[in-house]
Amino acid sequence: MRAVQILVDGFAISSLYALAAVGFTLIFGVSGVLNLAHGGIMVVAALVGWLAAGELGLGTYAGTLVGVVAGLITAYATYLIVVRPIQRSRAIRPEETEIFVLTGTLLWGIMIQVGMAYLFTDNPVTIRPLIAGVVNIFGVRTPANEIMIAALSWAAIGLLWLLVNRTRTGKALLGASMNARAVTLLGYELSQLYLVAWTIYGVLAGIAGVLLASFLGVSTTNAGQLTASAFSIVVLGGLGSVSGSLIAAYIVGYLETATAYLIAPTLRPIPSLILLVLVVYVRPQGLLGRR
Amino acid sequence: MALLRSPLFWIATATVVVAALLPLWFSAYLLGVLTAAYYFGVFAMAWDLLFGFAGEVNFGPTFLIGVGAYTAAILNSTYGLPIPVCVVAAAFAAVVGGILLAVPALRLRGPYFGLVTLVAVLLLQNFVVIFAGVTGGEIGMTVPDVLSVDVNTNYWYALSFLVLCAVLLFGLSRSAVGLILQASGQDAVEAAALGFNVTKHKIAAFCVSALFSGTAGAMLIFYMGTASVDTVVDVAIAVQIIIAAVLGGRRTILGAVLGAVFLIVANEFLRPLGQLNAFVVAAIALGVILFFPDGLLGYALHRSERE
Amino acid sequence: MQRRLSEARLWLFGCAALAIGLSPLAAAAQNAEPIRIGVIGEESSVAGASLTKAAAMAAEEINAHGGVNGRQIEVITYDDHSSAADAVRAFQRAVSQDKVVAVIASYISEVVLAIEPWSARLHMPFITPGAASNLISKAVHDDYDHFKYTFHGWLTSAFIAQAICDYAKEQLVGPFHLKTAVVMSEDAAWTKPLDEHYLECLPQAGLKVLDHIRFNPDTADFTPIFHQIEDQHPDVIITGISHVGVQPTVQWHDQQVPIPMVGQSSQATTSTFWKDTNGAAEGVITDTAAAADVALTPSTIPFTQTYVKKYGVTPAYDGYTSYDMVNVIAEAIERAGGSTDPDKLVTALEATDHVGTIGREQFYGRDNQFTHALKYGPGLVTTVAIQWQNGKQMCVWPPDKANAKISFPSFIKLHASAE
Repeated sequence: MRAVQILVDGFAISSLYALAAVGFTLIFGVSGVLNLAHGGIMVVAALVGWLAAGELGLGTYAGTLVGVVAGLITAYATYLIVVRPIQRSRAIRPEETEIFVLTGTLLWGIMIQVGMAYLFTDNPVTIRPLIAGVVNIFGVRTPANEIMIAALSWAAIGLLWLLVNRTRTGKALLGASMNARAVTLLGYELSQLYLVAWTIYGVLAGIAGVLLASFLGVSTTNAGQLTASAFSIVVLGGLGSVSGSLIAAYIVGYLETATAYLIAPTLRPIPSLILLVLVVYVRPQGLLGRR
Repeated sequence: MALLRSPLFWIATATVVVAALLPLWFSAYLLGVLTAAYYFGVFAMAWDLLFGFAGEVNFGPTFLIGVGAYTAAILNSTYGLPIPVCVVAAAFAAVVGGILLAVPALRLRGPYFGLVTLVAVLLLQNFVVIFAGVTGGEIGMTVPDVLSVDVNTNYWYALSFLVLCAVLLFGLSRSAVGLILQASGQDAVEAAALGFNVTKHKIAAFCVSALFSGTAGAMLIFYMGTASVDTVVDVAIAVQIIIAAVLGGRRTILGAVLGAVFLIVANEFLRPLGQLNAFVVAAIALGVILFFPDGLLGYALHRSERE
Repeated sequence: MQRRLSEARLWLFGCAALAIGLSPLAAAAQNAEPIRIGVIGEESSVAGASLTKAAAMAAEEINAHGGVNGRQIEVITYDDHSSAADAVRAFQRAVSQDKVVAVIASYISEVVLAIEPWSARLHMPFITPGAASNLISKAVHDDYDHFKYTFHGWLTSAFIAQAICDYAKEQLVGPFHLKTAVVMSEDAAWTKPLDEHYLECLPQAGLKVLDHIRFNPDTADFTPIFHQIEDQHPDVIITGISHVGVQPTVQWHDQQVPIPMVGQSSQATTSTFWKDTNGAAEGVITDTAAAADVALTPSTIPFTQTYVKKYGVTPAYDGYTSYDMVNVIAEAIERAGGSTDPDKLVTALEATDHVGTIGREQFYGRDNQFTHALKYGPGLVTTVAIQWQNGKQMCVWPPDKANAKISFPSFIKLHASAE
């Protein structure tokens, strides 16, 4: 009984973690950017989605879509206002660009968080469940919404897989993550590819944000935590490796859930942190990391 | 003596003298702001030593600061040990933390190093929050002892501490060891080829940075009377330290002090904005990164070079 | 043209005369120094923002009625970003830069506990309108000469727990035949004494405590906690939550946990809670300072209405107390003969007997272990229990103020039906 509870509960949260982490690792893999405003983008999507669904009366489905669009716009803003200017700046030495991008996105993340808190207060908000009611899975009473969220997360990840492996643009993206120069030799515009990458990232982060709001609820105070969580999972799985992030997300999700059920809810984040420490000491490039 | 002829020396001395006399004119509140800024200046200088000279971007200066600060806070609050003992213990704990951090981190290149330092901060943050019973959790803990209740005394403590650290750190940066560090930072391969043990020197740099960060962290706690995650551990503070150093000019050590004072004063000056002062400061800092990546002192020094 | 000019000159002359005639009055008004009160809140939090707004409103009303001894009250607000260190800096600024005579600050116990030693060091009278930790007033009792400047303008956790036990006994145990409970609270400074008292008074109210769960205030996923509680089959969940509120409530509703949630849920006391939870708040019972449409005192409803008209939302629980405390300070200054000397002000504050918006406010004295805390009891401050029903907060306790009967959502399975 308890085991089934853990299995079911862990699956949904892990799927959501996976969705958030995949976007983060994708943008690093393709353009080398560690976007520390990641949590901020998710929070914007969640808050705007809530606003659209409730206050503006658009209803849950339309509101969710609006939220995803808001996430996408914020991702674009991050790229065009912060990341690209720094990458193109001639005043910064090439080996220092990464640091400046990191710092820049961190600052931008702070601006998003404070700005959102000003507009929305830091009270958590929730989006009404896409499907209401509960279902019974092997004796465990589970909200139908939770299953929907897991399904949607996997649908998004599946679409991403299709995109990367079956379309030309997707394959070019994959190529760019391995060897950017070679891809330009094949005739692709790097700047266009980057835009595509950020578009995909924005949509993924936006979906993750609204789903999180529907499942657990989101507030502006979560921004830093969400970035840290995606970040830890990606480090665990290996920077730039999408499959690594997926596996790591499930490991972390299940570790946390099992801890909350079997040990104590207060100690929930600890095992994954200990795992992170071990990985950093023993295998810093992560489970499936390349470099 | 070459030192006495250097204009930088005279400007620095004049600034210190003026700063020491400020209590005659400034209000208690402004002195309080500057006191905090001076401790922040030490944080920034310690970071600049590590980054500017050892070439290692450290996203977790607050790991070292936090370890020092909380060690001191817990020793004082739970065990009632006197302030000097707590500060020394804090420095020691921070150095240990620095070594623990340096060992895995230095095996990595590029973003991975920064990542590890960031992970260290996250770990400390979670540790503090989870063991809230001992550490006061997210919102903080109070310490029973403070350095002094008198504003002027606190101010002079902070100023003398800053000057001491500045002299030591600046001296280190210009010494033979400092030059080796700089070489290791700019081009590790060549430095190693020249026969220097690069790793040993970088670990030493970590330890020095940790020593100053941890001690300053403890001093800050005993000035404020509180220790909390968002003043000494949070990544946001780490970013502010980096901004301060970048704002002032990397690799100048003294520029970091300028950047720190500017940042803290700006934060307080914008306090009447209420909620949005953090937004404005972050925006200004972002603007500096985008348009003046060399920082104030860096910009000034480069201009004088060109002339 | 000529006539217009002479008319203009007449107007000019008239205005000048008026100005000259009034200027001594103007000068006199300017000469009377305003009384400055510092108010430190958390602007991005619903409860924290309510604190500052209500204080500003109180000052406006007092000034409209002539101020205190002819002097206007000036409220200076600060945002501490929910950070103890920021709050301390704001406090220091208020004292040394802005020269306030008293400070009203925060609803977060950890923040208040950080400010308390500074109020002692700087001899600045300081009242919290919303924090609950027992330690705030115990410090005053244990070291009166040092900490006497601190006042606790809200009930201590012990009394909040007592209030909840009282209404559980009267409204739930009997009518709904409840026998067992699980205590669920966040791990924070204010819940330690709260839980201690729960464990004492719940059995006395007829509820056996099966388990006591404390969770990290950062928790986002409450599923394991609810499953753990459900496995023990209690009749009711007694809550102690403030840092969280929306998330556990929404998840309780979405998962259709068949156990009612009753207790202290600070976020549930605000009017935005219904929207934030999309209605999942239905059936949640929480203790609060006052409820809309319930006339605890003659000034409760007028205050609520004016606040809503001005700010568009109902005040949070600490809005009521913040408003009252500004009036309490004003009265104390008058009692002290217009003096704002800290020690005189403290003596005057101790003599407070003010009928505010939440009841009759008096502070305990040195003989009580909670020195300078608000007195609890019938005829003084008892708080009310409200239940969210159809988007509105309905008062369900005390019986003489109740305007609705308790009713739970359909997924709640009570062990016996209501009377």
